[in-house]
Amino acid sequence: MASIIDFTGICKNFKVPERNTGRFSMFKNFFMRKHKIINALKNVTFSIEEGDIVGYIGPNGAGKSTTIKIMSGILTPSSGTCIIDGLVPWQNRKNFVKNIGVVFGQRSQLWWDVPVIDSFELLKDIYKIPNEQFKETLEILNKSLNLSELLGRPLRQLSLGQKMKCELAGSLLHRPKILFLDEPTIGLDAVTKLAVRDFIKYINQTWHTTIILTTHDMSDIEALTNKIILIGKGQILYQGSFDNIKNKYSSIKTIEIEFAKEYDSIELEGYETIEHNKKFATLKNLPTTEFHTKNFVNQISEKYEIVDFQVTSLGVDEILAKLYKEYKL
Amino acid sequence: MGKSYFGIFKMEFKGELQYRAKAISGIATQFFWGLLQIYLYSAFMKSDTINGLTIAQMTSYIWLGQAFFAMRYIVMGKRIGTEITNGNVCYKFVRPINIYNQWYAEGIGQKLASTLLRFLPIIIIAVLLPENLNLHAPTSFVAFVLFFLGLILGLLMSHAISMFAVFLTFKTLSEKGSIGIVSSISNLLSGLIIPLPLLPESIQNVLNYLPFRFISDLPFRLYIGNVGINEGLIYLAIGFAWLIVLILLGKFLINTALKKAVIQGG
Repeated sequence: MASIIDFTGICKNFKVPERNTGRFSMFKNFFMRKHKIINALKNVTFSIEEGDIVGYIGPNGAGKSTTIKIMSGILTPSSGTCIIDGLVPWQNRKNFVKNIGVVFGQRSQLWWDVPVIDSFELLKDIYKIPNEQFKETLEILNKSLNLSELLGRPLRQLSLGQKMKCELAGSLLHRPKILFLDEPTIGLDAVTKLAVRDFIKYINQTWHTTIILTTHDMSDIEALTNKIILIGKGQILYQGSFDNIKNKYSSIKTIEIEFAKEYDSIELEGYETIEHNKKFATLKNLPTTEFHTKNFVNQISEKYEIVDFQVTSLGVDEILAKLYKEYKL
Repeated sequence: MGKSYFGIFKMEFKGELQYRAKAISGIATQFFWGLLQIYLYSAFMKSDTINGLTIAQMTSYIWLGQAFFAMRYIVMGKRIGTEITNGNVCYKFVRPINIYNQWYAEGIGQKLASTLLRFLPIIIIAVLLPENLNLHAPTSFVAFVLFFLGLILGLLMSHAISMFAVFLTFKTLSEKGSIGIVSSISNLLSGLIIPLPLLPESIQNVLNYLPFRFISDLPFRLYIGNVGINEGLIYLAIGFAWLIVLILLGKFLINTALKKAVIQGG
């Protein structure tokens, strides 16, 4: 498969005024303003293949949104080249954006005061979507997202989840080749989150839309993506399949245990006690210990009387934290 | 091409029509402000005419100004300011249409809708008021046609000037400050604060050729016959020329500002 997005050596510097603190500094800053350069992206290189769902992850301030904004033609990088679907996003913006759809989870692209369908009709005019295609697309979106009840109501009356469904539909009306989703599941309840996820998958399969999504939700990444790009402090730390990373760290488990009675301390060979509060404790296996449920139960039952326990693997934040440590960031 | 901008215009128009309470309070304000101005300037006018303007002409001028107040006022558009300061403007970038034109269409839609919601009640009341306070009929049919053309020019001009406030907002990230600068210049020079016919002739001679007076002064003077037909046609031509110049300048400035724009945060 051919790559649809090619990012080569992209750097982005922002010039921000430097503010000193302390006495008279407000006064001083008013007259003499110093600037400092922030390198938001440092030599970022990656490529994404057509039809992929790529998770773009990293902590807050890592440069995720900056990258998305460069890819969608909103920002011009300081240096480097970026070819998306044969075009440079920030040159000939109007031509480029015809083939992309963008959803910023924390912003709205639809009109606030008018029924959602009116917004869709306007988008139809803006993207010059033929009548037939518009009807057909709306039908598909309607079916898979259950929009029919929402379309007649003004956006301001919709709940967050309903709004997100409409935003997603709005970004897909013109059937873009590439869809950028910036935290699409932020603030959604479990049911809506699942619906949104299924929908994203469905669109990817039926229209072969290339999807790039940023998220802080581990389960989004697990459920959707076949490739992740990990960014930290403006640099690409890892790109490849998520399973690779997961397998590397999944050997470390967190075990929450409920005991039948209160113990003064919990100590188990090969495990580290992270938290202990009366009848409850949280343990973690040391890297040297391989976790086996059966062995663990046997081992702990010898020393303590347990009622219940629950095993979880590391969350994305913990994995990221481990990765950062590894990359000395 | 034009269809999408017309669509944006329609959208804003519809949105604005929903705010009836806002329109009613606007009508009340404009009505009392009009009366106040008429009493005030009548008291100042020692003789029956000032600079060749009769009291009857002055009252008509003031009523028209109040009736069409919504289109004379400098506003950026309901959301543009917050859009720029909070970064929502990024959605404007990902649409295959011109950003200046989008904003321009939005602003015109909002202004036209709020004008249409307000002007008729004020006109009707002003016509029914007793002598010396009322709005008179236009001097001729041709004058009325020119008045109408002048209104369209005024609407387009007022938003072309408002767009400079959008540019300043991009530079300063302060919506209120930018509107403040542009509107205080425009309101003074366009006759929104003091009707231009009441100013000394030497000042009028300068203001007549600046773009601001086309927002509100020219159409009303055409209506009351203070500017003749031939003279009016020349002024309208000057006005449309200014309109083109200001739109091109605004486009140039906003495009350069957009290139340097930085949209921060998630």
